[in-house]
Amino acid sequence: MAFVTHFFIRRGAAFLTTWRIWRDTLLFAGRAVLTACAPTAYNSATRTVVMKQIYFTAWQILPGFTLFAALLSYVLIQIVVTTAAKFGLSDYALEVTMRLLVLELLPLITALFVALRSSSAINTEIALMKINGEIEALESACVDTMRLEFMPRVIGGMISVLALTAVTSVLALVLAYLAVYGWQTWSLPDFSRVMGKVFDNAVLFGILLKSLTFGLAVTVIPVAEGMATPRKLFMAPISVLRGMVRLFFALMLIEVASLAFKYI
Amino acid sequence: MADAAQHLAFMAAQTAVARGEIALVSPEMPLRANLSVLDNIALIPQYRTNLTYDEAADQAWGLLVTAGYQDSHTKRDPDLSHAERCVAKLLRAVIGQPPIILIDRPAMLLPDTHYPPFLFALLEKLAEHLNNCEIVDYQWNQPLYDARHPPSIIE
Repeated sequence: MAFVTHFFIRRGAAFLTTWRIWRDTLLFAGRAVLTACAPTAYNSATRTVVMKQIYFTAWQILPGFTLFAALLSYVLIQIVVTTAAKFGLSDYALEVTMRLLVLELLPLITALFVALRSSSAINTEIALMKINGEIEALESACVDTMRLEFMPRVIGGMISVLALTAVTSVLALVLAYLAVYGWQTWSLPDFSRVMGKVFDNAVLFGILLKSLTFGLAVTVIPVAEGMATPRKLFMAPISVLRGMVRLFFALMLIEVASLAFKYI
Repeated sequence: MADAAQHLAFMAAQTAVARGEIALVSPEMPLRANLSVLDNIALIPQYRTNLTYDEAADQAWGLLVTAGYQDSHTKRDPDLSHAERCVAKLLRAVIGQPPIILIDRPAMLLPDTHYPPFLFALLEKLAEHLNNCEIVDYQWNQPLYDARHPPSIIE
């Protein structure tokens, strides 16, 4: 009996801890979004942080990531086009390519790339700021850290994920056109017709919402995890580890929810 | 009872700090590690009074020149000497022009310096930018101070 009691106490404590972390993350996301909606939240200092965040998250990786996305898109497009031709389904190759790449893979890969590159850095930075007492120091100087440090990162992260997704999606569409129709322009009306069929208003709104949610996740989870770090230096790597695992599950959950909403 | 009174005094001080009435220069109030000294100081007017970065940086530079520490303006926290770090923290407090600046336990900020003369020379240079500056120190450090400038004592 004692074993059962201990088991439930331990499991219950773990469950409550997980529940509190997710609740705090959601509350933080709500506060960040509300702060971002207030025009008074923006001043010269916050704009500087937003610009820096976009520079480090999107601009710095743009050439390398675009090249990688182009390569991946080209390979996948060729696989789809070749396979479709083999089964006599060439008419559907372009639509399948668009759905696979632009609606599903590229937003997810962009979010994962940003998560690996920037979210881990944000998580580490905020955790170290918390451990060193830099957040308290800023607040004692009457600097609202939500406005100066956190909200600009969230805005910057969302804009970066959205922008990178848009760039790589447009590139994938161009590559898909070239793979299916070749180097000529007289098939543009056909291409436009397929695009219109795939990207109706609901789908465009869905992809926008998904990209923004990815952008929110890749910044809010690392910031919330960093803020929850106890003031002990050895907790910094543990905080980053936890943050990245939670972020991975959150991104997968968003993707699965989006797929379920669209196809089930 | 003494504990309760101390706690209340601490809370009152915290409230005052929160309102910007007191700026703390303390070992527990570090600089932003990924910003240079100049940016750490400029951040306060840039954020609080919505100055452009250039205007805020000009103000910060002026204070660094006045203090005689302009050479450290590009350095970040880990690269600073104790004196440079202490000056940067003090200037970060000064630039906000608070009614009171509290230098908390300077022996911890300047462990390798005979700090009372250093601090008073620095405060004299910055006199026209200061309203009221208090030094809070332990009782056992009182003999280090000139009798004309006694510190506030932590009992």
